[in-house]
Amino acid sequence: MWIKLLAEESNMLQLVNINFDTIIFTLINTLIIFLLYKFLLHNKVMAILDERKEKVSSEIKAAEAAQAEAEAVKKEYSERLEQSKEEAAQIVSAAVKRAGEREAEIIAQAQQEAAELKVKAAESIELEKKKAINEIKDQIADIVIMASEKVCEKEISAKDNEALINKFIAEVGNE
Amino acid sequence: MPNGYIGLLAEEARSFTVDGPLKSITFDFLGKEWIVSESVVVQWVVMLVLAIFFFVLGRNLKVVPTTRRQMIAEYIVGTFTGQVDDSMGPRYKAYRPYIGALFCFIFLSCIMGIFGLRNPTSDVSVTGAWAIITFVLVFYTKIKTGGVKGFLKSYVEPAPFMLPFNIIGDFANPVAQALRLFGNNVSGMVIGGLVYFALGGIAGGLASIGIPAVLSLYFDLFSAFIQSYIFVTLTMAYVSMAETD
Repeated sequence: MWIKLLAEESNMLQLVNINFDTIIFTLINTLIIFLLYKFLLHNKVMAILDERKEKVSSEIKAAEAAQAEAEAVKKEYSERLEQSKEEAAQIVSAAVKRAGEREAEIIAQAQQEAAELKVKAAESIELEKKKAINEIKDQIADIVIMASEKVCEKEISAKDNEALINKFIAEVGNE
Repeated sequence: MPNGYIGLLAEEARSFTVDGPLKSITFDFLGKEWIVSESVVVQWVVMLVLAIFFFVLGRNLKVVPTTRRQMIAEYIVGTFTGQVDDSMGPRYKAYRPYIGALFCFIFLSCIMGIFGLRNPTSDVSVTGAWAIITFVLVFYTKIKTGGVKGFLKSYVEPAPFMLPFNIIGDFANPVAQALRLFGNNVSGMVIGGLVYFALGGIAGGLASIGIPAVLSLYFDLFSAFIQSYIFVTLTMAYVSMAETD
């Protein structure tokens, strides 16, 4: 049923004509182009886009999971760090405390030792002093006895004399 | 006197004619003489070009694009897909490849004039065939979305007196679509021919070098793109407006 507008002998169609055959061929050609576009380009590109979408979303999920894990690890580490900081502070304060105690102990010990030494020194000084005094006393007594013997030329009872002289020396020593 | 004669000048030697497409091949098939017009032959050229183009673009695509070729392929497909999704909605996913293919086909058909061939789109039978596809798709969508009842009901809406207008509208849309593309193309061809013809008489034909290229740029590239875009946009609009529910 094509509308025949052209002259039979012409090898050309009219400028404005409706040609049934051209319509049929165009429909077939359009179908072929549609199939070519769909299967050679469209479906392939869409498949790639879908694949990419899936890949990206799975990668994002993986990244999120990794981030969450990292977050957890970070939290754990910071907790641990906090804990170890506390521990360190405790250790330091304990050490400081102990050192303080030890310091006081050492000082106390040193003071005690010093006091002891002082006492001992005083004692030994006293002792030496007494010793010296006694020695001097003895020597003086001997000298006095010798002198008295020379003066008196008379032997008095050594015992009486000694008592007398000691009394005298004690008086002299006290002066 | 040839058909489609446009008498520009009285002088017969300088007559200007715009002819219809040639009857390139005729053959007998199914007891009928089939005429393969020039429009169809040029369509075959277009199909060959497009087949190579699609094959090269769609070959060896990778998830991580490494070639500019893949970028182009993704841009083309993404643009058509986006257009269809924007104007028709995701319900009409099946139209994505049709719209893309139709645009490529129409656009390349419109720019065949650049290569010295006759544009298939300057044949109303060709644009008519595409309009027939739109017409069929519109009816298919009407029946698919509303059923036969909804389809019939859509003709008496919003009021029963609208029945003739609705029927006219269904036929007028594809006719207008076909004639718009045809008219724009054929007018471009006629104007181009006229300018070329007229300039041929100036300075012994030297004026016809260069100046028609500007017109060709408009009619063959810009207008071709715009008209192809309008055609596919109207196809999408008619189909998505045909929804009855």
